[in-house]
Amino acid sequence: MIDFSFTKKQRALREAIDSMGRHVVRPQSLSWDQNKAVPEEFLRNFYQIAQGMGGAGHLGSGDEPAREPGRASETNRTVMAGAEALAWCDAALMLTLPGPGLGAPPVRGSGTEEQRRRFFSIFEDMSGGLRWGAYGLTEPGAGSDVAGIRTTCRKDGRDWVLNGRKCYITNGARASWVVVFATIDPALGRAGHRAFVVEKGTPGFSVGRIEDKMGLRASETAELVLEDCRVPEENLLGGEASYASKEGFMAAMKTFDNTRPLVAAMACGIGRAAYEVGRDFVRDNYVMTRPIPRYAAIAERLARVDRRLQAAWMLCWRAASLADHGEPNAKEASMCKAAAGEAAIAACVEAIEICGAAGTVSSEQRFVEKWFRDIKVYDIFEGTGQIQRVVISKRILPGLHGF
Amino acid sequence: MFDFTLTEEQALLQSTARDFAARRLTPTMRAHEEARGLSAEAIRGFSELGLAMASLPEAIGGQGLGMLEAVLCEEELGAADPGAALAAPGPGAFGRALVELGTEDQARPLLAPFSSTASWGALAWTEARALDERPGFAATATPEEGGYRVRGQKAFVTHAPLAGWFVVCAQVDPAAGWGGLGAFVVERGEGVTVGARHRTLGLDAAAFADITVDAWVPAGRRLARGGDAAALSRLFAKQGLLAAARAVGLARSAFEVSRDYCEGRRAFGKPIGHFQAVAFKLADRLIDVESARWLVWRAAWAWDHGGDEVAALRHSAQAIPTALEAAMRAADDAVQLHGGAGFMRDYPVEKMMRDAKQLALCAPTSTTLDQLATALDLGLVPDPALTLPTPETQPIFT
Repeated sequence: MIDFSFTKKQRALREAIDSMGRHVVRPQSLSWDQNKAVPEEFLRNFYQIAQGMGGAGHLGSGDEPAREPGRASETNRTVMAGAEALAWCDAALMLTLPGPGLGAPPVRGSGTEEQRRRFFSIFEDMSGGLRWGAYGLTEPGAGSDVAGIRTTCRKDGRDWVLNGRKCYITNGARASWVVVFATIDPALGRAGHRAFVVEKGTPGFSVGRIEDKMGLRASETAELVLEDCRVPEENLLGGEASYASKEGFMAAMKTFDNTRPLVAAMACGIGRAAYEVGRDFVRDNYVMTRPIPRYAAIAERLARVDRRLQAAWMLCWRAASLADHGEPNAKEASMCKAAAGEAAIAACVEAIEICGAAGTVSSEQRFVEKWFRDIKVYDIFEGTGQIQRVVISKRILPGLHGF
Repeated sequence: MFDFTLTEEQALLQSTARDFAARRLTPTMRAHEEARGLSAEAIRGFSELGLAMASLPEAIGGQGLGMLEAVLCEEELGAADPGAALAAPGPGAFGRALVELGTEDQARPLLAPFSSTASWGALAWTEARALDERPGFAATATPEEGGYRVRGQKAFVTHAPLAGWFVVCAQVDPAAGWGGLGAFVVERGEGVTVGARHRTLGLDAAAFADITVDAWVPAGRRLARGGDAAALSRLFAKQGLLAAARAVGLARSAFEVSRDYCEGRRAFGKPIGHFQAVAFKLADRLIDVESARWLVWRAAWAWDHGGDEVAALRHSAQAIPTALEAAMRAADDAVQLHGGAGFMRDYPVEKMMRDAKQLALCAPTSTTLDQLATALDLGLVPDPALTLPTPETQPIFT
């Protein structure tokens, strides 16, 4: 039935995140950004509180409860409701939360039951130490064109031997394992792709440079190097038989159907934060004593920012809702991602313009310049705005198979 | 829980409207435009469809369906021909005005004839010029012999050439500005002179005219909440949402027609849709259509699941301009993608472009609504000049 309200659980989750954001996260956000890290101790405490919040546990956890036949799941929507709120607090913190992160969907979607148990179980009890998972697809020579990856894998006895480089991997250096995509033969294109779970400490697996970024500076972005890295065959996601069809590549792509709405929702959260800065600045600094805002042009710009964000937010709900109903949502996932990235960038730009010079200067009360730096990548990672349009185009033009 | 699943009844209603629109409106789109009105057959069709009173409360003779059901149907009608959708017989804005501004006892007898005969009512709100000397309307209503003398001129009144009844909004207390309005139900024969029908940019199937009123109206036909800013803004927000739903339909059609054309039309050895510059345009228009639709649904849902009127008003203020702008962009791109053919009346897209622009004036304008949305979010009590479409902001077709 049509509904446009949060569940009680979602509302409670968002209120808890909001309160933590205001009182605990945002006061430290700027120093994390400057120090390029969220302190481990903070993450430990935050994680414990999040566990206590029930729903928030989902944000970092890997496995989702199986969908009962005939009944829609709530998972995608609840996670999304939390993600938007958490990104509103601090997007870098959200990306740094312990758990399997973006590594979860491929393990969940393509892994065997044994693999799911093995790789997710390490996140169940993190009292001894925090753990992360990661997702390694991008390479120096293959970003949007995923089919062009050059990291190779070759079967040798009971092992696979991997060679290549992965770049821009979120939490790549601290991850206990990384889902790495490689190819048995670049000439085979998508059919040659294989996905492995490469565990930290595997001989031949090392961390290259840690990137120095424009925004999301407190989030770790690493280069990973695979040099004759031997991965046991049990770590080939889904087992060899599952690659007989095109499933390997499809698995890599299917991940995006779930993660794009989530990333789009994060963009909406940052956009909302920026919109609020602009709105509050207008309220506090302009002479708004008359009921008609005297600065009509500014009032109008604020409204346009907000309705663009709201439009994107609705597209996120649509995509997540389809996923929860077990229906295909690739087109909708791309639509919300394309819309949200751009809407949120516009929100940050407008917020800075409304604040004027004050918008370009960070203070503990206002650091929209940080969000301005954080937001740009939301139109890039998880598929650029252009790639989203390629995905949408292929689904609306039946005769189009590629440009 | 955010969800987009229609109930079986809603889905049935939607498909009924879609079938009717495809069978009866799309094929006759140009005929209705050229005739500048609906054919007798189309009027009969609308009466059989029986949607005119659907979203009015049961207590006054409607079917008690919600705004959500109304926007579902209007999108389908708008997808076929927004002109015909607007021209459809029924109480329309007149009926909604009776519901929002009047009491049940006032509304029931006045609406009864609409369920048996195909007829039209009109809401006379807009005036051609804003007054310099004071806020409010130039049209006045002054007490006279147990009733009111309503006098003045109203502009751009939708259905005026056809309407038997009018809700006329006039100044009761000139000193009170926008707070001193009243709404009066006037029968055409009581003193309404309808001027020449306007020649409009689009929506040609619907008739617009200015009217001159000089009528004595019994006190019982002064609507109870005709001066209540909250009731008036409810009225305009809901009527605006119907226009927005038609705009979503128009945008959807413009997108679909363009997509099909771009698959069929070839240049440089392949369909033009297979060039990124074209395909990405189509993708963007689909994003527009869907996001506008969900915003319209959300606003309609908010009115149906009342409680928070400020939220419903704000959702409406966001949905309406988003949808109307989406329609304009979609129609503009549709003409562009058709190239020279887009300019020809052999193709439907030039009509869509004209209709889209005219639709945008059938609701409070983007400018007004954007300022209203911000004022609401800043916690300011909005000036009636923001909640209501006034001559200062923009004339509208009601």
